[in-house]
Amino acid sequence: MAVFQLAEWTAMAPALILAGTALALFVFDSISPHSTNRSLLAGTAAGGALASLAVAVWFIVAGVGTPTVDGGLGEITVLSDQFVVDQMALYFMIIVAIVTALIVVASYDYLVGHAYQAEYYSLVVLAATGMSMMAAANSLVTIFIALELASLPSYALVAILKDNRGSVEAGLKYFLIGALSSAIFLYGISLVYGATGHLQLDNIAEVIAAGDADPYGGLLGLGILMLIGGFAFKTASVPFHFWAPDAYEGAPAPISGFLSSASKAAGFVILFRVFTEAFPLGDQMNALIGFDWTVAFIILAIVTMTVGNFAAATQNNVKRMLAYSSIGHAGYALIGVAGLSADGGELVMGAAMMHLLVYGFMNTGAFLFVALAEHWGVGRTFEDYNGLSRQAPIACAAMAVFMFSLAGIPPFGGFFSKFFLFMGALEASAANTAMLAVAAALVVNSALSLYYYSRLVKALWIEEPATTRDRLARPTGLYAAIVVAAVMTVLILPGFGPVVDAALDAAVAALG
Amino acid sequence: MTVGVEYYVLLSMALFSIGLFGVLTRRNALMFLMSVELMLNAANINLIAFAFYHGNLTGQVFALFAMALAAAEVAVGLGIILVLYRNFRDVDVTVPTTMRW
Repeated sequence: MAVFQLAEWTAMAPALILAGTALALFVFDSISPHSTNRSLLAGTAAGGALASLAVAVWFIVAGVGTPTVDGGLGEITVLSDQFVVDQMALYFMIIVAIVTALIVVASYDYLVGHAYQAEYYSLVVLAATGMSMMAAANSLVTIFIALELASLPSYALVAILKDNRGSVEAGLKYFLIGALSSAIFLYGISLVYGATGHLQLDNIAEVIAAGDADPYGGLLGLGILMLIGGFAFKTASVPFHFWAPDAYEGAPAPISGFLSSASKAAGFVILFRVFTEAFPLGDQMNALIGFDWTVAFIILAIVTMTVGNFAAATQNNVKRMLAYSSIGHAGYALIGVAGLSADGGELVMGAAMMHLLVYGFMNTGAFLFVALAEHWGVGRTFEDYNGLSRQAPIACAAMAVFMFSLAGIPPFGGFFSKFFLFMGALEASAANTAMLAVAAALVVNSALSLYYYSRLVKALWIEEPATTRDRLARPTGLYAAIVVAAVMTVLILPGFGPVVDAALDAAVAALG
Repeated sequence: MTVGVEYYVLLSMALFSIGLFGVLTRRNALMFLMSVELMLNAANINLIAFAFYHGNLTGQVFALFAMALAAAEVAVGLGIILVLYRNFRDVDVTVPTTMRW
């Protein structure tokens, strides 16, 4: 076990590699500010993301985070417990690294003729660093700092097309809502600190269990509600979801994919960690804060998936439809928190983690297809996409895979993660009957989502083109990223065993 | 001589509410930014008052981090407001409406 000889801080290597890559890109940019050497810049960024991915996979295989009784190396804590590298952290670092690599490869073609190449890539990698750190953050301090490190570059990336009114408007809306929600989140942190006197998650749990926070139940409850607001922004769930359609529609399409997959996953990992580590479920907690926080998540999950899917069904713009569908998927993943109970919930939380991994492939791929369509300049609505399969059968086949997988049709990865979510919700209903309503909402919404996903597939494959088009270009980077994402969405089926094991192990470790 | 911690919490809640009121009513993006700044500083007051109350320094140190992050956020925000002005000739947040559902 080579990891044994490494210093403890090297456990953060997946995030550190991304940080180093971002700094290397900055150095290159300061030496040659006007360079548009796309191959070098995109290559460096992709290399960094893949190295981060490789290290994270190596750690998880070598047994970092696996409990020592099972022959693993146990959790590794860094900076006196401010960061903890366990299975859940590594699992989400892998998701972030995969999405970053796909985005960077696709941006190689998307950014042809763009003036700010190096800035773009270093901001993407910096945001990925923040998301990777969010995966391992174990204290409200590091969670807030990592969250800002992920958010600030994202604001700039959404608005990076400086002369495009849509991009600037999207950046403004994303920034304003983001600044507001981070202020609410920080205030929530300060209230939790006031009630418990600690910012580290396990210490907060100890203080609550010891009953030392009993006089401050109201403060703690208000603080928890404000924290939920901050998480809702990051994961694009109700009540802070309304930035998402505008931001995703106006942003460059690869960035929309990045935000809706990696950023959402990172938001969920801090949500999982805070609510499993710091706020133990049980009668004591409910009496202390005056409500059961799983009820809040049950309501949020149902409302989020319903709002997202119904709004998506009414859209004419493909990118906006995908944005609303991404809100709907946030609702599905929220089931993972809603289904937790005092003595269970591993299955449902593991299922949510699986869904986020599969979602990382299928949703990123779908947004990259939109990026390809923007690259071709065919237009934005469903009608504009009519008959694209005549000119670009491979990309359109990949898009059909993404759409059916997002809808949850059996042969693809999306079906299995939704199936596990459904089974997990049913299992959790033993402890909390309201989970039956969540399971029903999941099924109804999935059925509804099939309508608008298949509408796009019909436009691509069955409809006649409205206008005659010239031959469409085949940009290598975009095609490669789309095909890889599609192949992974399909291949994840035979490879689902290890994913299930990794996600369930991580969930058990987090809850144990 | 010492002021009870509850007065600090009242002060910070008042500041937070003023900031929230500004966010909800102001149309100028710069005023919006200032209102958010009030909300962040309300949290800082809380953190420092509670650090004093609990007798540990965690909250004070975190308040320093929060100030640095607020400054970084303003830097990015002003950049975005600048490109907003260049594109729309205005910093009114109700003007950019190219995207509506």
